[in-house]
Amino acid sequence: MASSVYIHIPFCQTICSYCDFPKFLYNEKWVYAYLTSLKKEIKDRYMDEEVETIYIGGGTPSILNKEELKRLFKIIETIKKTANCEFTFECNLSDITEELLIILKENGVNRLSIGIESFQKKNLEFMGRTADFKNASAKMNLCRILGFNNINLDLMYAIPNETLHDLKKDLNLFLKLNPEHISTYSLLIEEHTKIYIDKEEYISEELDYEMFRYICRKLSNAHHYEISNFALKGYESKHNLVYWNNEEYYGFGLGAAGYIDSVRYENTRNLKKYLLGDYVKTKEIVSKEEKMKYEIMLGLRKLSGINKKEFKQKYGLELKEAFNLTPLLKMKDLLETKEYIYINPDKLYVMNEILLKII
Amino acid sequence: MKKENIRNFSIIAHIDHGKSTLADRLLELTNAVEKREMKDQLLDNMDLERERGITIKLNAVKLNYHLDNEDYVINLIDTPGHVDFSYEVSRSLAACEGAILIVDAAQGIEAQTLANLYLALANDLKIIPVINKIDLPNANIEKVKKELVEVLGFKEEEIILCSAKTGVGVKEILDAVVKKVPAPQINLDKPPRALIFDSYYDPYRGVVLLVKVVDGKISLKDTMCFMATNCEYEIIELGMRTPKEEKCHELKSGEVGFISAAIKDISGVRVGDTLTVKKNRAEEPLAGYKEMKPMVFSGIFPSIPNKYDELKDALNKLKLNDAALEFEPETSEALGFGFRIGFLGLLHMDVIISRIEREFAISIIATSPSVVYNVYLTDGSMVKVDSPSKMPERVKIEHIEEPYIFTNIIAPSSYVGPIMELCQNKRGIYKSVEYLDPTRINVHYEIPLSEIVYDFYDKLKSTTKGYASFDYEVIGYKTSDLVKMDILLNGDIVDALSIIVHKDFAYPKGRAIVSKLRELIPRQMFQIPIQASIGSKVIARENISAMSKNVLAKCYGGDVSRKRKLLEKQKEGKKRMKMVGSVEVPQEAFLAVLKDE
Repeated sequence: MASSVYIHIPFCQTICSYCDFPKFLYNEKWVYAYLTSLKKEIKDRYMDEEVETIYIGGGTPSILNKEELKRLFKIIETIKKTANCEFTFECNLSDITEELLIILKENGVNRLSIGIESFQKKNLEFMGRTADFKNASAKMNLCRILGFNNINLDLMYAIPNETLHDLKKDLNLFLKLNPEHISTYSLLIEEHTKIYIDKEEYISEELDYEMFRYICRKLSNAHHYEISNFALKGYESKHNLVYWNNEEYYGFGLGAAGYIDSVRYENTRNLKKYLLGDYVKTKEIVSKEEKMKYEIMLGLRKLSGINKKEFKQKYGLELKEAFNLTPLLKMKDLLETKEYIYINPDKLYVMNEILLKII
Repeated sequence: MKKENIRNFSIIAHIDHGKSTLADRLLELTNAVEKREMKDQLLDNMDLERERGITIKLNAVKLNYHLDNEDYVINLIDTPGHVDFSYEVSRSLAACEGAILIVDAAQGIEAQTLANLYLALANDLKIIPVINKIDLPNANIEKVKKELVEVLGFKEEEIILCSAKTGVGVKEILDAVVKKVPAPQINLDKPPRALIFDSYYDPYRGVVLLVKVVDGKISLKDTMCFMATNCEYEIIELGMRTPKEEKCHELKSGEVGFISAAIKDISGVRVGDTLTVKKNRAEEPLAGYKEMKPMVFSGIFPSIPNKYDELKDALNKLKLNDAALEFEPETSEALGFGFRIGFLGLLHMDVIISRIEREFAISIIATSPSVVYNVYLTDGSMVKVDSPSKMPERVKIEHIEEPYIFTNIIAPSSYVGPIMELCQNKRGIYKSVEYLDPTRINVHYEIPLSEIVYDFYDKLKSTTKGYASFDYEVIGYKTSDLVKMDILLNGDIVDALSIIVHKDFAYPKGRAIVSKLRELIPRQMFQIPIQASIGSKVIARENISAMSKNVLAKCYGGDVSRKRKLLEKQKEGKKRMKMVGSVEVPQEAFLAVLKDE
């Protein structure tokens, strides 16, 4: 049983240099065909359960025009939502208008995720994006006026040539906007992106670490609930927690990933195939052992860690029976309370290394 | 065929002078192999031999030849050319009466030409000098002829010119073998005696022996016995190689062939031993051949601990046709259970390691090679030490001696400067420079063996653009001011990284190793000091800074499988690491530390 839905909208006004998600330049004809196919996909695969979260991401969902948005929400109407369903919509700053916000509001969207990434000129140039603080401030006001009280801002850091000072300026500006949630991303240089082809190089590990530490310190008033996510108490992203809690979710749309009935699947990234109804590209049937590994890999991203009792209920054996955690507890890589096992916050930044020792 | 019409000979040459190609040509000329069955370098059976272009294992083939209305049987015993394998050469030569000495028409005499020739002369063999590759555009036949006459003392008229590639002169060589190489002494009436000059393990037939019958005859169903170990077996199969196996009923005095007897117990078989027959047992064993002592010792450990037994089995099988291989169990705190193995030289070590990894599919870690030191203690006694970990405490040592070699380095005279500089840097003692002709020199130094086991040969090749050839003989022990240097990772001594160095070279060496390790060992979760120390005194130190960040912070769109794959990939990378205490050390680190400045 899945209690969450992700929907991918792969259209953008411009292409960011680092993005490796399936995306195309906006084109009305394609959007029309895409929504038609998306409707079919949901109809074919959705099994009528009530869902607790919906997340519309991209690409840039906010690029759709009024008619297209109406069509999209019409499709989504077929999905049953619980009374307090968290419904997130990703927006680009420049797309935010009164008209857009009203449509979103009317259709039940109650959380916005705005991809600002940075306000620093050289960072924006590197990413191939635009952002301006005054404009952002005005748009935030508009959102507030129209009743959006759960807003996430995306912040990207560790961009080549970025200094700690640049990051400090960004963080200060982000905080001035008073968001409920900040997602931070240390830049990854992925294959098939412009910056990969341009042979851009990572900033030094030391600086990346220093930036991470700075962010943690600066946002210490917020709840650091997941390795790169910070929120005011009560505003943690329910949708993302579905991922970290190793729960099942639908992924609809081009290149979307999902996890249904013990199968992790990934949709095709080929638009032609998608439009022809050939949706799924890969499937991985997840065994109990694999599930437990995922549980570790995902669960330990949460600062609260893994609930021992819940683990036992899910898998029928103790967390410490399933994995040999004693040496890690001894080394204080992991810490333990009565209820939880979690990564020592001082060692969060070498999480992969710790995961490798467990799985 | 008359019994005096047998010839046993081998081909000796410096590496790359065309020995295996000439052997192919001889096989073709005597129709031993159909043209369509020919593949290059037929006698080189091992993949490793063909790949590296070197012959490691000797091989024996029977050729039929017709000359002046007489039928002859010619046994060709192939030999390796590299200095490390000269014991194989001496095994071959013990089974021969003659040898063809090949010299490359473009290269002239090289270091191993000399080494192998001396071995052949020591065995009283008739030598037939041949200049090969005369078809090369840069062949300098007159100059090479002059070297053969002036340096080695051949007569000009006995030198045969040949191109194994085109076939020119190949028949003359066979004719010369028939005419000049004496027939083996044939003693059919004496009790049977055969020299075992090689053996190998065949999974279906057990141990197969290659023998030269010296006296009497050995027949199918005979009960044979090994004179050194007294093991007895009934002979199940006899034959000769042409080079395909041709079975027969008996092998007679003067003949070379193979014997199998379903021998499963490897330990009773020794190459060099004499084989006789139970019912007509010989009294005295044959003289055997010059045995070589291992000069270089290294610890070999399976990278996965539970492969210890497999490794032991592999070594036993390799030992079967590699008498020079010696090993005993060794334990290392860092690497677990393994073996201390004695090798003839670095190439030998390389070959054995490759064979273990390829033929037996066992991944191994080798520690830095060491020579055998004579350590004199204050109580007047002496111990032989072949591993830094066995070095007694410093206070108990009176003095230490180490083995020295005498070099033959043959190169164009323009490289004399760089060669001498290299030898000096390796603690060499200058002896002399000999001119082979106005443009070529033979440089003689005395150098500690420990200095050449690491990278001397590579360095020599690079400083002389590949023109130098190198050979050496061990001349004995000399006193040196040596100390044991330990390497500490995170404060703990890693026994597998300890080495013995000359005191004057300890500081630079310590610094070099420490900085090399810093490059090789990846960052870990905590800062790691790497130190080099002599006794309790730290002489070099560097830090590997702690890993600062390795989080895949992004995970958009619930693409969880992909992150999982990335993690699995990282995990794969970890398999090449060995945990030493709490530090992950890549396997290469154990050897690579010594291959630098």
